[in-house]
Amino acid sequence: MELSINNNQIALDDEKGRNEGESIQYIVVRLGEEQYGIDIRNIDNIVKMQRITRVPKLPAYLKGVINMRGEVIPVLSIRLKMGLEADEITKATRILIVKLEEEGNVGFIVDEVKEVVTLYEADIERISSDITAEKGNLINAVGKHNGELISLFDLAAISLEEN
Amino acid sequence: MDVSQYLEIFLDETNEHLTNLNTRIMELESDPENMDTINEIFRAAHSLKGMAGTMGFKRMQNLTHDMENVFSEVRNGVIKVTSEIIDVLFQCLDALEEYKDNIQGSADEGTNDNEPIIRMLNNILNEGKGGEAPAKKSPAKEAVPAQEGASGNKWDSVVLDDSQVNVIREAQKQGKRVYGLNVAVQESCILKAARAFLVFKAVEERGEIIVSDPSAQDVEDEKFDRDFTLIILSDAELDEIITSCEAVSEIDKVVGAEIDLANNKSAKVIADEEAEAAAEAAAAEEDASKEAEKTEPAAAPAAASTAASAAPAAPAAKAEPKKQAPAKPVVNRTVRVDIEKLDSLMNLVSELIIAKNSLVSVSSQEQTDVNSAFNEQIEYLESVTTNLHESVMKVRMVPIESVVTKFPRMIRDLSKKLDKKMELYMTGEETELDRTVVDQIGDPLMHLLRNSADHGLESAEVRAQRGKPAVGSIFLDAYQEGNTVVIEVRDDGNGIDVEAVKQKAIDRGIITVEQAANMPDKEIIDLLFLPSFSTAKKVTDVSGRGVGLDVVKSMIESLSGEVEVKSKLGEGSTWTIRLPLTLAIIQALMVVVGEEKYAISLGSIQTLEDVPASEVKLVQNKEVIHLRGTVIPLIRLNEVLDVERKPVNEENLIVVIVKKGDKQAGLVIDELIGQQEIVIKSLGKYIKQCKFISGATILGDGEIALILDANTLI
Repeated sequence: MELSINNNQIALDDEKGRNEGESIQYIVVRLGEEQYGIDIRNIDNIVKMQRITRVPKLPAYLKGVINMRGEVIPVLSIRLKMGLEADEITKATRILIVKLEEEGNVGFIVDEVKEVVTLYEADIERISSDITAEKGNLINAVGKHNGELISLFDLAAISLEEN
Repeated sequence: MDVSQYLEIFLDETNEHLTNLNTRIMELESDPENMDTINEIFRAAHSLKGMAGTMGFKRMQNLTHDMENVFSEVRNGVIKVTSEIIDVLFQCLDALEEYKDNIQGSADEGTNDNEPIIRMLNNILNEGKGGEAPAKKSPAKEAVPAQEGASGNKWDSVVLDDSQVNVIREAQKQGKRVYGLNVAVQESCILKAARAFLVFKAVEERGEIIVSDPSAQDVEDEKFDRDFTLIILSDAELDEIITSCEAVSEIDKVVGAEIDLANNKSAKVIADEEAEAAAEAAAAEEDASKEAEKTEPAAAPAAASTAASAAPAAPAAKAEPKKQAPAKPVVNRTVRVDIEKLDSLMNLVSELIIAKNSLVSVSSQEQTDVNSAFNEQIEYLESVTTNLHESVMKVRMVPIESVVTKFPRMIRDLSKKLDKKMELYMTGEETELDRTVVDQIGDPLMHLLRNSADHGLESAEVRAQRGKPAVGSIFLDAYQEGNTVVIEVRDDGNGIDVEAVKQKAIDRGIITVEQAANMPDKEIIDLLFLPSFSTAKKVTDVSGRGVGLDVVKSMIESLSGEVEVKSKLGEGSTWTIRLPLTLAIIQALMVVVGEEKYAISLGSIQTLEDVPASEVKLVQNKEVIHLRGTVIPLIRLNEVLDVERKPVNEENLIVVIVKKGDKQAGLVIDELIGQQEIVIKSLGKYIKQCKFISGATILGDGEIALILDANTLI
């Protein structure tokens, strides 16, 4: 699976930043042109796009449920949740199975899973709480990696939100 | 030795005894002269005392001891049971309950001595005896059996080998006393081995066990009938040992005496022919049992019960060469199983059923060339999985009795507190439900009963005015109906005042005046289930704190059940709780709506109908059909579920008639797939806004079908 692709990268990162504080590994995904990161400790699995069973009367961003090894898991469109245009399903589309503390496993539809990066505390910039409190905002920090910016998801915001 | 391993048994039995006491004392109140009840209470109190003592819970022991004293006097006719005594006794039970809870929580009984209660008990005793101080219960009468004829004693027929004989002789020479002891456990005793262990323990505190017949190992494995015999060395008095053994609960009788080796047949044989000891032992065994048979009927009357139990044992010993061949215990053998283990077993069964379903779907895909043997095997597999599922479900089923037995007592207390006369009538306590449901149904039921007692039943004056009997009636009925269990709480009280509810709802801003004017009574009554809606004019500590019905509703819904209420002003109300019999696997009808598959629980389906489109009529702008004399509203599932309808057969509608209580509705579907056993999976906490989807299931091909909750559609 994609998780193993960037082992070399991880090793490099480790050596580079031993003294830069706590390090966290993030899975980097692509949504449109932007890159987003999710803490790898919250990821249960990454699966290919599959048939999603629609559940009636749900908000548009909740696409339905899938069968993951006998378990029924809700799938949501991160794009719709963030107010972006609807997902375009391609060969690269993946469902990220994310472990939420309260609600159990939930699937996120993403355009592409790119790599695993290690970010150090020093590379991460928190976004002020005024902006994060805004509805529909799921980002609470931005990480810098190799000169690129990665928006980091705030899973608490996803799980706490009244849906 | 450590008694903590018996803590669980102790708690279970304390529970049982307390429940029993509660019920019996209720009985006693209505029938104060009933000797059976009094005896039963006495026995239960006595057992509690014994158990608490053995486990080292002194405060609990003291309290039960005083309770027992009171009952002993009641039994002797010295004290008459009055309402005050009953009150005090109930306070005792509450205190004991508290001890039990403490022990359950921390393995410690706590520090509350409950002196006021003990004082009250002693007052009762003193009054009953005309000021006499409560006499200590004398253990003397229990020692009487020790006087029985020596030759009839069981320990004299115990087979001793020469080393044991030597030990006894040595001990007697040294001036130690050697006792024979026969301990009989009660016939109803379930954990004989545990009791025996406690007896062994009690004896070992005071002396040394030389011989046990049957052997200690057999006793531990419960390989004994009702009694066992010990030969012990001790410095203590015989009475003391006997008393300590009798303190163990469920011990029927302990008899004992000092041993005279001359009376022991096998010991004599050993003495006479020491050289042939080994060979003789076998013969002696037979002789001994013969002797037992001969002498037992002649034994003193005091030993009657011992003899009675020994009588069947003796012929058995003759028939088989081995003496310790106890009859299999007649009581049900049970094993305690962690509910989590059952859950995982249940999950495995679910998996198995899913796997079976996929086999079924594979076989139906290739109908043409699949051989019949394959189909046969699938059918076989199907019957096995169905049976397996049923057995696992049954293991989890328990009667609701354990929950409802505490209610009569609660109603009695409420009756006093609210100063209203009322009586609770219960039926169907034996109705069984899944363990997890039973564990959680107690609180909602309690709320409903309290509600009936407080809001439902009128005060005595109002009842008299209305020509109702002075004593209000509350009914709790449980029964099974198809795939559901129904529990009804009914009262003959005031019923729900729809106008009062309406006014309150308007005051609270829940509905507007205009809305209220157009709302049917039923919907207004349903407002009661909204959070923070309490119509009690007075806030009492019984109800009226604004928590209650909404909690009841949400608790029952969390068990996949539902609650509804019917009420007639002035005549009373009926609260009906419906709970699914099983939580995990159901029989369902698979249907197609648009392109999607849905499952409808077979339990809620009444019939399937083919209805010509021309027979659909409009009533108040809603579609209905006329079916065998009833008008049934139609629900077009494609509209409810936002599905595009396939332009199929417009002439005929396929209608699934579903029912909920006495209401019916017709669900219009596009296609029928058939009946299937499905495993219910939760949609997860993330999806909760879709009311009429109660879950999902995984089909044989891995696809997900949603389960329609027909109840919410009606």
